[in-house]
Amino acid sequence: MNDELFLNERIKVIAAFGDGLNPARPIRFQRASGREVEITEIGLRHPTSAGKRTVHVFDVTDGGADYRLEFDSERLTWHLTMEADHYAN
Amino acid sequence: MRTDYNSERPLIMHIDLNSCFATVEQQARPLLRGKPIAIVNRRTDNTAIITASYEAKALGVKVGMKFREAKLLAPGIIPLESDPPKYRFVYHKLLDIMRDYSAHVTMKSIDEGVIDFHDTSEVIKGRELIDVGQEIKQRLKDEIGIWMRCNVGISTNRFLAKTAASLHKPDGLDVITAHNLRDVYSTLKLTDLTGIARHNEQRLNSVGIYTPLEFLDADPVTLEKIVFKSIVGQQWHQRLRGWEVDDREFDVKRVGRQYVLDSPRLSYDQILKRLHHLCESVGSRLRSQGKAARGVYVYAKTYERQYWHASFVAQLPFYTDQTIYELARQLFERAPDQMREIGVHCYELASIDDAQLSLFHDQIVRERHRTEAIDAINQRFGDRTVHSADTLGTGIYVKQKIPFGSTRYL
Repeated sequence: MNDELFLNERIKVIAAFGDGLNPARPIRFQRASGREVEITEIGLRHPTSAGKRTVHVFDVTDGGADYRLEFDSERLTWHLTMEADHYAN
Repeated sequence: MRTDYNSERPLIMHIDLNSCFATVEQQARPLLRGKPIAIVNRRTDNTAIITASYEAKALGVKVGMKFREAKLLAPGIIPLESDPPKYRFVYHKLLDIMRDYSAHVTMKSIDEGVIDFHDTSEVIKGRELIDVGQEIKQRLKDEIGIWMRCNVGISTNRFLAKTAASLHKPDGLDVITAHNLRDVYSTLKLTDLTGIARHNEQRLNSVGIYTPLEFLDADPVTLEKIVFKSIVGQQWHQRLRGWEVDDREFDVKRVGRQYVLDSPRLSYDQILKRLHHLCESVGSRLRSQGKAARGVYVYAKTYERQYWHASFVAQLPFYTDQTIYELARQLFERAPDQMREIGVHCYELASIDDAQLSLFHDQIVRERHRTEAIDAINQRFGDRTVHSADTLGTGIYVKQKIPFGSTRYL
């Protein structure tokens, strides 16, 4: 069973921009409902392109669910586009 | 022809991200790690599995199996729809890492590539390639993520390097040399050898060859005249001994796409719209390779397991979506009922810059300018920003999928 929920929810994100191999790291985000999610691991960051516009996709987890965050590097906006919170064994 | 084993220093490295798409998904989504997952193009029971995770494979799930069957073997197996941009990113990361070690890197597919160290710098050549292999494994983890694993094989030619990379999946590193060649072959079956599937196995069996060691010891004349009936026999004789015969690039011969229809209840018009979408996709790929075609081939598979096909070769080359679709549509008028899968290919390819294309009248020149303008818009604002009105509603069904056998469109 894979409960993926596809969304397009504008979110507020606290992120750190540093150096090294992964210079951008979202740390915590707040959903439209006000609920805050603490990111415990960034699984993968990959860029996608919408034409010449680059959108960075961050697959992250808080340990209880997996989330997909998208950062539009032109508009400087963050969206939560996927949540998967239950995997039956 | 050389009859000895190649005893030169092994300088070919094959790198293979096995179960690549599943591993990348497990990297991206930590909660999937350690679980049986299957990558599919569509989340239905009837869909075929593109890649299974090692956990799923351990339960007997195989690539190509229907998801319905996989669920019986691995209850709880999680289906995930393929995510091409993610795999493309990993492909480019792997390619970047490999290119740090040699200018001679060839990607064989989206998840495997070869580094040729023959002409690399003395600094790198001075290192043990086993150390380089270990370093690449570690870099995959550091630069992509901790769940990433790859198999590394090192040998004197591409064939043996690939064979070495398959010896200890999922995280192996093996070297095949003239010294251990026979030992390695003694552990394998004929069909474990890349390029030997059931048909070639039968050919070999017909002359009493049942094992890789018997294949290795076979007389080259027998291989050439009786088994393979061509120079391919000689090539196998060399390949098995570690001599390079596979360092060749092949030209694009055809460009195509296929699509398993999303419902058995589609009307003929709805099927034509999906065919039109495929033609636009093929046209875009064709032009991205700088090619024009003269031939169009269409096929359909039915629910009764019939295979229907038709083709047409034009006198002049063409490359616009409209022309490809118009030719495909005409051929499709004879297509059978009860279609389950459709496909379209362009062949007889030539360079789009061939003078022939611009020698003809204004209409062709205008058509070319229009097509180039549309391609430029789509490149700038995103795939399918401009397309025919006929395919307005097909994008949710006919999605962009990951090409397996070719790295030309990555």
